[in-house]
Amino acid sequence: MEPYKNTDSVIAEGEHVVILARKQHATHEAEEDFVQCISTALTRGDRKLDVHSTKDFEDKMYPWFEPSTAPLSTEDLSHLLERPGVLAQVANTGVRYVVWLDGSTDRVASGGGITCAAGVGGAGCMGLAWWEDDSRYDATVWDIKEATDAGTIHADVKGRSVMPAIIVPLPFIARPQAAACKGLTEQIKQFLTSPQGYGAGPEPGVG
Amino acid sequence: MPLLSHMHGARRWSALAVSLLLAGCSSQVIVESSFPSPLVEPLPVRMGILIPEELYDYIYTEEIPDQSLWTIALGDANVAMLEPLFAKMFRETHKVDAVPLAANDGSLDGVLQPTLEKFEFDVPVGERDKFVEVWMQYQLTLYEPNGDTVVAWPVSGYGKSELGRNREDAVQRAAIVAMREVGATISTKFAQQPQVSTWLGEKQHATSVSAPADSVPLDAATVQTQNAR
Repeated sequence: MEPYKNTDSVIAEGEHVVILARKQHATHEAEEDFVQCISTALTRGDRKLDVHSTKDFEDKMYPWFEPSTAPLSTEDLSHLLERPGVLAQVANTGVRYVVWLDGSTDRVASGGGITCAAGVGGAGCMGLAWWEDDSRYDATVWDIKEATDAGTIHADVKGRSVMPAIIVPLPFIARPQAAACKGLTEQIKQFLTSPQGYGAGPEPGVG
Repeated sequence: MPLLSHMHGARRWSALAVSLLLAGCSSQVIVESSFPSPLVEPLPVRMGILIPEELYDYIYTEEIPDQSLWTIALGDANVAMLEPLFAKMFRETHKVDAVPLAANDGSLDGVLQPTLEKFEFDVPVGERDKFVEVWMQYQLTLYEPNGDTVVAWPVSGYGKSELGRNREDAVQRAAIVAMREVGATISTKFAQQPQVSTWLGEKQHATSVSAPADSVPLDAATVQTQNAR
């Protein structure tokens, strides 16, 4: 699915964004350091944003953003905001947009091999090892003020690392997760600060 | 095979020290964290809280073949999780030492006793497994002040955490996630348990029936007197 934006609204002065990981999956979830990477990167560079601490938000909203209680849809979010004290607490945090991160970095392939040996005359390694990591993340943006799904953006970065060894192993490490963090950060900034740049979302009931 | 230990008071620390000495390869985790107060409306009851000594001093030990002896202390975290939780869940809470309460003690509507029944954890060995997992089950027993059991409700929580470089840290983080889950379930689902819901209804009914007699306003008393004439 292509990235899309359902609304023309942009983040205003004094409004905050919070980055949360979807934790409902048994086998994967966005890594803590990836969430931290996005949160930190959004506060830096051009078009920097006010980012609320993830842990602080989860603590202030406890128990409503735990894995078993977090809203899974904007309909759930609307119901949650109707609970006594919840809307006021959200207002206290200053958070207007919640960005839900879903995905992970996984090793999708690996091969080759390196053999090392040591003797009286010295030690050395010989061979070639390689591996490929895939960083796939979705970021779904919710507008809490309107209780709507503002849109979704994606990052999918593959990186192949190789380590040839001729006496000494020489690692050439690809970092697809760092690239995904950088790419997704730029997209989130664009998404939240510019009304243009994305297609319209799927029509309700279609698909 | 898991060995569940419930130990008292200062024995907890000596047990940890002994475990350290005895186990050539051992892992110790003392789960420590602050837990937030839940954002919920307090239930309109006065609740006695009976936290057994075993919960304060809970230590779980398990020897994992070909790995190590794990010792996980959960006592401090139990207190840190449950105290703010109950304080926010009920209109009024008081610590109590035993149930039933004294026959003439009408200050409480009920007594709640939490116990930790089960604790399980898994630390991955294979390269592809990324998460440490913790599962725990508490039991909340609600008593009438006279000691009759209203309900014994099992509440479980699951937490996982990336393995990372330090296995002990990962177990601690997963345990904290599981405990937060338990707290979330207790604070959002307690009043929805059928027996609890009925019990709350009875308490509210009793309050509404007794309220006019307890607190007849002066002007109402005057009206009654005038009507009697």
